[in-house]
Amino acid sequence: MVEQIQPFEVISVPLPPKDAEVLTTACAYCTVACGYKVYRWPVGKEGGPKADQNALGIDFPTGGAMLPWISPSQHNIARHNGKPHHVVVLPDFDAKVVNPGGNHSIRGGTLAQKIYNPARPTRDRLVYPMVRVAGVLQPVSWDLATEVMAEVSKHVLAKYGEHAWGMKTYSYEYFENTYAISKLVNTSIGTPVYAPHDKPQNAEDAAGLDDAGVNSFAASYEDWGACDVAFLSGVDPYETKTILFTEWMMKGDQPDKKMIFVTPHRTMGVAYGQQNGGLWLPIIPGADTVLHLALARIIIENNWQDQEFIDNWVANQWDVESGYGRGTRNTRWQWRTTWGTFQSDWNDYRKFIMAEESAKLENAVRITGLPADLIRKAAELIAKPKPNGSRPKTSFMLEKGNYWSNNYMNSASLGALGLICGAGNRPGRVISRGGGHQRGGMGAGFSKGWLSPEKYPGRRKKALNVDRWVMDGNVRFMWVIGCTWFAAMLASQELQSRVHELVRGNPHQPRNVNKTHLVDTYKKRVDAGGMVLVDSDIYPVDPLNTQIADIVLPAAGWGEVDFTRCNSERRLRLYSAFNDPPGEAKPDWWAIAKFAQKMGFAGYDWKSSNDVFEESSRFSRGGVLSYHVLVTEAKREGRKAHELLRTLGTTGIQTPIRLVDGKLVGTKRLHDPSNKRGDIEGATVDQRWLYAFGTPSGRAVLLKTPWKFSGWIDFYEAVKPRKEKGEIWITNGRVNETWQSGFDDLRKPHLSKRWPWPWIVIHPDDAKPKGIESGDLVQGYNDEVFVQTGAPIGVLEKDLTFTELRKNGHIKVTSGQFVAVAIVSDEIRPGVAIASFNYPGAPANSLCHAVPDPVTGNYRYKLGRGVLSKVGASVYRTLLTEMSLKPRPII
Amino acid sequence: MTGDTMTIDDRDRSPLTCMTRRQMLILGGSAVTVLASVPLGGALAQKAVPGTADLVQSRYKPRRIATLRDIKAKTPIPFTYPVDDVRNFLVKLGERAGAGVGPDDDIVAFNTVCPHMGGPLEPESYKPEHNVVGPCLLHLSTFDLTKHGMVVSGHASDTLPQIALEVREDSVFAIGVMGLIYGYARNPVSA
Repeated sequence: MVEQIQPFEVISVPLPPKDAEVLTTACAYCTVACGYKVYRWPVGKEGGPKADQNALGIDFPTGGAMLPWISPSQHNIARHNGKPHHVVVLPDFDAKVVNPGGNHSIRGGTLAQKIYNPARPTRDRLVYPMVRVAGVLQPVSWDLATEVMAEVSKHVLAKYGEHAWGMKTYSYEYFENTYAISKLVNTSIGTPVYAPHDKPQNAEDAAGLDDAGVNSFAASYEDWGACDVAFLSGVDPYETKTILFTEWMMKGDQPDKKMIFVTPHRTMGVAYGQQNGGLWLPIIPGADTVLHLALARIIIENNWQDQEFIDNWVANQWDVESGYGRGTRNTRWQWRTTWGTFQSDWNDYRKFIMAEESAKLENAVRITGLPADLIRKAAELIAKPKPNGSRPKTSFMLEKGNYWSNNYMNSASLGALGLICGAGNRPGRVISRGGGHQRGGMGAGFSKGWLSPEKYPGRRKKALNVDRWVMDGNVRFMWVIGCTWFAAMLASQELQSRVHELVRGNPHQPRNVNKTHLVDTYKKRVDAGGMVLVDSDIYPVDPLNTQIADIVLPAAGWGEVDFTRCNSERRLRLYSAFNDPPGEAKPDWWAIAKFAQKMGFAGYDWKSSNDVFEESSRFSRGGVLSYHVLVTEAKREGRKAHELLRTLGTTGIQTPIRLVDGKLVGTKRLHDPSNKRGDIEGATVDQRWLYAFGTPSGRAVLLKTPWKFSGWIDFYEAVKPRKEKGEIWITNGRVNETWQSGFDDLRKPHLSKRWPWPWIVIHPDDAKPKGIESGDLVQGYNDEVFVQTGAPIGVLEKDLTFTELRKNGHIKVTSGQFVAVAIVSDEIRPGVAIASFNYPGAPANSLCHAVPDPVTGNYRYKLGRGVLSKVGASVYRTLLTEMSLKPRPII
Repeated sequence: MTGDTMTIDDRDRSPLTCMTRRQMLILGGSAVTVLASVPLGGALAQKAVPGTADLVQSRYKPRRIATLRDIKAKTPIPFTYPVDDVRNFLVKLGERAGAGVGPDDDIVAFNTVCPHMGGPLEPESYKPEHNVVGPCLLHLSTFDLTKHGMVVSGHASDTLPQIALEVREDSVFAIGVMGLIYGYARNPVSA
């Protein structure tokens, strides 16, 4: 007989009482940045299940879908003013923008688990400044840490110059922090040795798009909802921009849209797209340019191009050449767009396409690995006019699968393809990046990029590659803020080993935290050719600050300080502080100011986050993220700019913000002629790219991308998998349930259970011969990882081609490996495996080559290769509590 | 405080931090035995372990769902539990599953409401090939029935609530709910 009493707990979540405080914020993670509400109330009371007993104003149980509900992951206990408070972080069910009706991803849905709570996995937050003594980090005061940093920095700057002082930071972690960082790097120190988290150099991400005159974030989310056809290059927005997909692309003004996915990995969004009349183009990594050229050729052969748009909006030769004055044309976009190799106009582009061998369908089939009829069908979908003569509204999205495999040519060729289809500046017809991080970067005046020693042949300017500059031993003081550095860059293990050697491998290591001893030791180290490394973060980051950094500074982040930033439709919101930072953790702008004051620099006396925001606004003026008008209007009203923004809640306002008839007006879409207005009011800055393309003529530039361009083709041939070695492509990417390097995810019980270990998806054809099954630990190993050394300056035309670099001894051959848990599934193209990108402990990027695109300086992150081998069975084969090994696209 | 969970630290009474029955079941049978042997209602439950008093009061009642011989592999059987308006389904997966019962540890049961935003996960969306339920019609979430309803791909901020089962003699009984059912602030219990 069954016992009558079963001791099961009844799970519940505390409901916010009627008088709970409600603050607004936006999600901390992906570029979409859904709106969230934070409910906060003191521990000791709870709301009731009746609508008039709780702050949500709804009866529990709610009895229906899409209604406000609190899952257990959405509650936590936080400290506010030192006292314990309940905190519930819920998607904003009242939202009308971004995530209407409270739609949310698993990442944002678990935001409450990010909160510092000593009883939870976030207990490992960094809470004191620390200095490494005899290999172990010891707590010190902020004053000591920053005084030592300043003394060593002064020594380095005086003796070795600004090129020996470097910084590597996030580009996105709120305007207040990035402005402060930029002010220090550019204005006070004045060094060109700076790179954002996702690049080795401080330059454009998708340069081919910028050069075409198309801003990478010109679109609004509603454009992705309104298009008839979405051409998605190197991206599945379901995985990495979830609400853009589930809210806008699956719905929107045109819910019956056709989606074309170009990616070797058939993820959930791809499966949905196929089920709804779209296409999956499982391309061979790196071959996208050829696909774009072949599509353009089919379109031109059939006369499907949008001629009216081309005639109105595409630059002719005179347009391209005009507007430069007598300058040297050595700025990056100038030399690329007026250089014979890429420069084009419609007639020239058409001739180029018809003459380009790789654009012929039979050649494209061979290079891309795609069937001819799939390429033909894609061309028809994106460009073939309907029987009534109307054209499909096609939008073009690109993300890292595109510009992280062949940086310049993939982005430039996609831009050209989009333009001839009539996309770029109209509702539902846009060309944009999907976006990765949110957009919280604000510069303080001109960067010191002109001090970069790097030049493309012809004395053409390029940004400095910080990784190479460090590895070549040129940097003596390095400060990293809020990123993993090694695992995100290429030949990760080589970079990490070299930094370890420069920092920990040097004989001069502190033995106590006496200030004089520390300064003397570090000075001796830098004079002996070593490097002093400082790292600011919220968590231990292995190995950067756990094993290598000399000085570690604790940062305060999301929800702990009032911050601002934009999302990928340039929507500016206030991210409210709602709980106390742990211990001595401080926002990065505060740490920058503290250091700058110790250096004796003026202009760092900010008292609050709002002070930094207000100071930064005038530097935003002429840019696409301009919030200057908001700040000037707030000042006119006698209030703080943060407080004015707070009143806009989760709706915020799309930048650039303009003053129209005395009101703050956002900008939905860039380059859109309907943005043209009469008189410019107040502090508004008129910019042509508001209502035309971002070129001197206002017309977009078509760029030619010959497949056999010498800056690409020999590198591509050299990095292809070697059949004789049994190699396959081992590329990398991300999935929905983890965000970036897993920094919060591994501290969220729900998510760390889902992905406790990094994954690698392998096709059965590649797994079977190696005896690999789902759940096995698999090593990826590349015994020939190329790393460029030296040679920042190209003099002769071919100097920076891979062949020439190698001939001249500038290519070092290293090796790399990582281990991940196999998921064997036919969701991936045979001959290609995809591993989780930048995951702690398993740097898939170790297999990728640190040889940048010579045209842009950006890496080809996706082009890893190697041999797979089975290490053994992981615990997840039998453990039923962690890591599902099921395929992703089950539909 | 009116916590229902076995919270041992009253600074934090969220279900995630404490050793819940769900976690005990998930972690293995021996842990279940230990909990089952706690003298419920005694001094320990009343004082030393905050929340256990409620635990005693809010017990689930077992309900018979099916006889073992009527359960065919890969064929879901709908049922309601712990109250009539909470719909679930039972299924024999044909592979060992977390909290699975029966001779092959493969009989499991799950709620049919997506814990993301309440979309339907009716038995018809069960995919026998993968032992996954979904995708949810609203936003395409899928859940792994072999691993306690873990999200395979998707958006729910908690796992799909699993109905705890027990086999007694030749019948399968629902005996509790693991996880908070969508739309509830506190799981319902049968009268």
